[in-house]
Amino acid sequence: MTAELITEAGAAPEAPARGRQVRRRLYADRMAMAGLVIAVVMVVAALAAPLLVHLEGQDATTYHPELLDSARGGVPRGSFGGAGGAHWLGVEPTTGRDLFARALGGARISFLVAFGTLIVQILLGVGIGLAAGLGGKVADAFLGRLIDLAISFPQLIFAIALLAIVPGTFPRPILLMMVIGLFGWGGTARLVRGQVLSLRTRDYVSAARLSGASRTRIALREILPGISAPLVTYAALLLPNNMISEAGLSFLGIGVRPPASSWGQMLSTATTWFQADPTYVLVPGLLLLVNVLAFTVLADGLRTALDPKAPSLRGGRR
Amino acid sequence: MTRYLLRRFASTVVLLLVMVAFVYVIFYALPANPAVLVCGKGCGGGQLAAIDHKLGLDQPEYVQFWHFLEGIFVGRDYSSGPDVSHCAAPCLGFSFQNDQPVLSLIGQRLPVSLSLTTGAMVLWLVIGVSAGVLSALRVGRFTDRAVTAVSVLAFGAPIFVSGMLLLMLFCGYLHWLDFPVYVPLTDDPAAWAKNLLLPWFTLAIAQAAVYARLTRTGMLETLSEDHILTFRAYGLRERRIVGRHAMRGTLTPIITLSAYDFGYILVGAMLTETLFGLPGLGQLIVQSSNNVDLPVVAGLTLVAGAAIVVANTAADLLYAVVDRRVVLT
Amino acid sequence: MRTSPALLATAALLAAATAACSSDGSSSSSSGSAAFDPKTCQGGTLYVLNQSDATSHHLDPARIYTSGGGSVTSLIFRTLTTRHRVPGQAGDQVVPDLATDTGKASDGAKTWTYHLKDGLKFDDGTPITSKDIKWGVERAFAPELPGGIPYLRDWLAGGTDYTGPYKGKELDSIQTPDDKTIVFKLRKPEGDFPYVATATQFAPVPKAKDNGTGYEKHPVASGPYKVQSHEQDKSLVLVRNPYWSRTVDDQRLACPDRVEGTYGLNAAVINQRLSASAGKDANAITVDTDLSPAELARISTDPNLKKRAVKGEFGETDYIAFNTKVKPFDDARVRQAIAYAIGRQSVVNAVGGSSLAKAATTFLPDQAAFGYQPYDYFPAGPNGNAAKAKELLAQAGHPNGLTITLAHRNADYNHDGPAVATAVQASLKQAGITVKLKPYDDAGYGDTIQKPSTEPGIFLATWGADWPTGGPFLAPIFDGRQILKEGGNFNASQLNDPKINAEFDAINKITDPVQARPRWGALDATIGKQALNVPLIHPIYIRLTGKNVKNAYLDQWRGSYDPAMVSVK
Repeated sequence: MTAELITEAGAAPEAPARGRQVRRRLYADRMAMAGLVIAVVMVVAALAAPLLVHLEGQDATTYHPELLDSARGGVPRGSFGGAGGAHWLGVEPTTGRDLFARALGGARISFLVAFGTLIVQILLGVGIGLAAGLGGKVADAFLGRLIDLAISFPQLIFAIALLAIVPGTFPRPILLMMVIGLFGWGGTARLVRGQVLSLRTRDYVSAARLSGASRTRIALREILPGISAPLVTYAALLLPNNMISEAGLSFLGIGVRPPASSWGQMLSTATTWFQADPTYVLVPGLLLLVNVLAFTVLADGLRTALDPKAPSLRGGRR
Repeated sequence: MTRYLLRRFASTVVLLLVMVAFVYVIFYALPANPAVLVCGKGCGGGQLAAIDHKLGLDQPEYVQFWHFLEGIFVGRDYSSGPDVSHCAAPCLGFSFQNDQPVLSLIGQRLPVSLSLTTGAMVLWLVIGVSAGVLSALRVGRFTDRAVTAVSVLAFGAPIFVSGMLLLMLFCGYLHWLDFPVYVPLTDDPAAWAKNLLLPWFTLAIAQAAVYARLTRTGMLETLSEDHILTFRAYGLRERRIVGRHAMRGTLTPIITLSAYDFGYILVGAMLTETLFGLPGLGQLIVQSSNNVDLPVVAGLTLVAGAAIVVANTAADLLYAVVDRRVVLT
Repeated sequence: MRTSPALLATAALLAAATAACSSDGSSSSSSGSAAFDPKTCQGGTLYVLNQSDATSHHLDPARIYTSGGGSVTSLIFRTLTTRHRVPGQAGDQVVPDLATDTGKASDGAKTWTYHLKDGLKFDDGTPITSKDIKWGVERAFAPELPGGIPYLRDWLAGGTDYTGPYKGKELDSIQTPDDKTIVFKLRKPEGDFPYVATATQFAPVPKAKDNGTGYEKHPVASGPYKVQSHEQDKSLVLVRNPYWSRTVDDQRLACPDRVEGTYGLNAAVINQRLSASAGKDANAITVDTDLSPAELARISTDPNLKKRAVKGEFGETDYIAFNTKVKPFDDARVRQAIAYAIGRQSVVNAVGGSSLAKAATTFLPDQAAFGYQPYDYFPAGPNGNAAKAKELLAQAGHPNGLTITLAHRNADYNHDGPAVATAVQASLKQAGITVKLKPYDDAGYGDTIQKPSTEPGIFLATWGADWPTGGPFLAPIFDGRQILKEGGNFNASQLNDPKINAEFDAINKITDPVQARPRWGALDATIGKQALNVPLIHPIYIRLTGKNVKNAYLDQWRGSYDPAMVSVK
């Protein structure tokens, strides 16, 4: 998966694309814009969750036993899981809690973990990749091997293993960010290292070196802008991956645990109810699916906008 | 070639040793009370003391690590006086909760995971590569867009969602299949295959999407290279060009990725196995993680890491065979 | 009933998705048309589908902990007494198994004497003698065979210091004056001794074939079946014991010729297979898996499946426990306020609705065998009485409400997990009590709550009956002398009232269980006034069988199917 993503991210362009050009290309790409809009809407909704829930007039924690058919296992009364004016997306079985509020709360945690993990991956990956690419032979040899090792590690398996031994009192979302991030920086580092190694030989970098700039300065001033394009694209591809990783772990019961909710966790409790109350499954399932798609399409649009020559995942416009 | 092989072998061994050390540090050295973790839930005082002694936790760290390492090569005995648990080489740990060496637990479940991974891999390679080639040859046209749309969708859907949809479709509405119950290959090959169809497809769909995109990208790049233009100028048939020459270049990243994926999915198909109730390695790691059976978790992680390292080496070698441009250094 | 939450959740997918793979389409003529006749029921293979190994992982009778001899284990091991194998209330009784009667008490129920029936043989033809039973009980004390029921050490005189027979020492309080007689001398009067004698520790073990920890590989059978193969946590195959017959056993029918158990399955997969009843699954039962609320919702719309869903009860209470040594739970008014505030409807719904649980206001389960006496000293109604709760809190010095931390397991399979905890949190909120939830790892929860020094102030707990009388239900929870400081303590409130302790002793002297019942009920009612805990629900079990299975009922003792009584013909 990592190797494939690196190829997808493309190479650093000959000259860094100019901001206005990038934006123009991006706006012209309808699919990418659709993805961007959906992604932004989702993130904003997650951030504004308390406000939106207040608008609906409900909250995520109040039980409504009167809305459930207790003799039939606690399934919500009414069609579409009890959806209606009072509860926009219906209520949960066995508790009667408002599903709209729960879904938004779940969005918060899903995004929190996904973005948090991304930050860990970028920080570690860029740091180590830069050090490996700019450092001397010894540093590169050692760090290069370290990166290889990090990529070879079975990420999710180690995550599951680590999650087993950490006591349950440690806040899960933070633990997930650390664990998934800790075993996921390898791809970023390899990408950055590769780009740095190729950029080192470029003219403008050599010019900076000749003029006596320190290595850190070179790193920040000359190299970073050069790798920003593939890095941004890679980040945009990492995000949905992180969301799926967290959803998968929560689904297995190892990630976010009840009563906290994330979409993956909601999906795991909801799948039993598919027959009796499909709304309960479809809400987190579709939300997850739509989000992942939106970010993936956006990432592809970004890559095309930043470097039109790179092969696009969706073909078209050349 | 021999020198390259020796060098690769040496670096593989080093990588494996580092991995062993890493696993050991994380699982046995770092936790505050590894004996409690090894003993698992419902562990009484007497059993805890026995395990404490068996693991030799009173000895210095490097001695413990040495025993651990030694165990991998020649096996070891966990003893607390009269009560001895023997763990034959290669000893990846001893599960006190199940009262058997981790290796034998793995051995019981390996055939299931192998069945799942191999079958799925054949499927995803066939589907993914064909779809990718098709897409590349009809680039920009409807087929291309359709294939990429489907693959983006397939890639985005989490396995538990796509698995459920497949079950509903084939089992629920079409009634083409009963839901899967694992039957070993040696018992009844027909039933084995029939029951694994749904898990194979579930796993293959997600993977095929990735391989389709990869193949497409690779093929497009290769097709625009000079030597292809030359062949075209010579008047070689398109089919031969694509089939023989373009594929060569395209295949290399696919081979590398396949090898890595095989190693990873062997232990990592946790969602698929748990979903379909297949008693494989993925299910084992989830179960032992929930039961906090440390030796099994540690042993499995080691196996997974080793599988990937070995697979990567194999891939590099294959790569060299397939693409004669590669110079082994 | 217990399952890894992850596996339950993920494999639950199957149940939902393959619902239409169920009997809706495949419910062709079921052979349930022929009525069940014990005389012609012989034959066929019974399949048992379980999440966990039905023999507690081990096939050594010393290590198995069951109620009433267990389901699958009592197919292999006969014991001195056993549970009465009939449906309904009568199933709560003890009846003789290897013995001729349920035991003669003497010396104020401190001595119990049993005589063995004639014609009893092991699966190799050797006769069963009282010495074999003595050996079986003694070896349960050996440290290399941990596990089993906890009562032996405490009840048998000299049990606390005994370390098993392997070093040559005998337990003198078990006497065998001749081959057919066995006498037990107890430390204090125990009227319930016949119930304990149903445990597998009282199964005969021939000394000549006992090789210690290796015995479980080839245990010798005394019951209708013997072990052909056992793969721990994976499978068990039983075939007929040629030396057993109905003439020497009037309790078991043992209709199937063969019993095959498959373990380690997911709960949802088990229910799915039973409802589909395809192929061999038509002859299958489960002994540890109930229907989940979602499956119940699905089944309630299918009359065919509803017929195959059997209802039963196991004496169990899920409750909120208090540690009265921790503030503010030392104040009875605070405890009473919480009792008034609880909305049991939400808790019932959280575990699956009114078909799967009943609201509980008494500690004893509502079955006659326990001497159940209904009472509700803190009437909260289905949704809690917030006003009364607030009033009591104000009296106790908390006019502005209270903040407490509720400890619970982080898995739901035992009804003491997040689902129940969140429901409790929601209903207490209405009374101004803010509840913070503190989940504990499944592996460590038991240890934490069972040790007085680490016991949280308020936590969720479950208690089930080792046998259906008031004694084992109340004593470990409320008898002050059962407070164990090192662990394994169930007297969470740490009640130590000499009058109540004396009442326990007095009732234990009664040897007729029917007479003891009203005393137990009255004792429960007396203790209940103190609000030392808040009972929440009594679970109801609903389980499925395959469509060919006959005479399957859930017994009152354990709420489980009895493989010794079902037939597949």
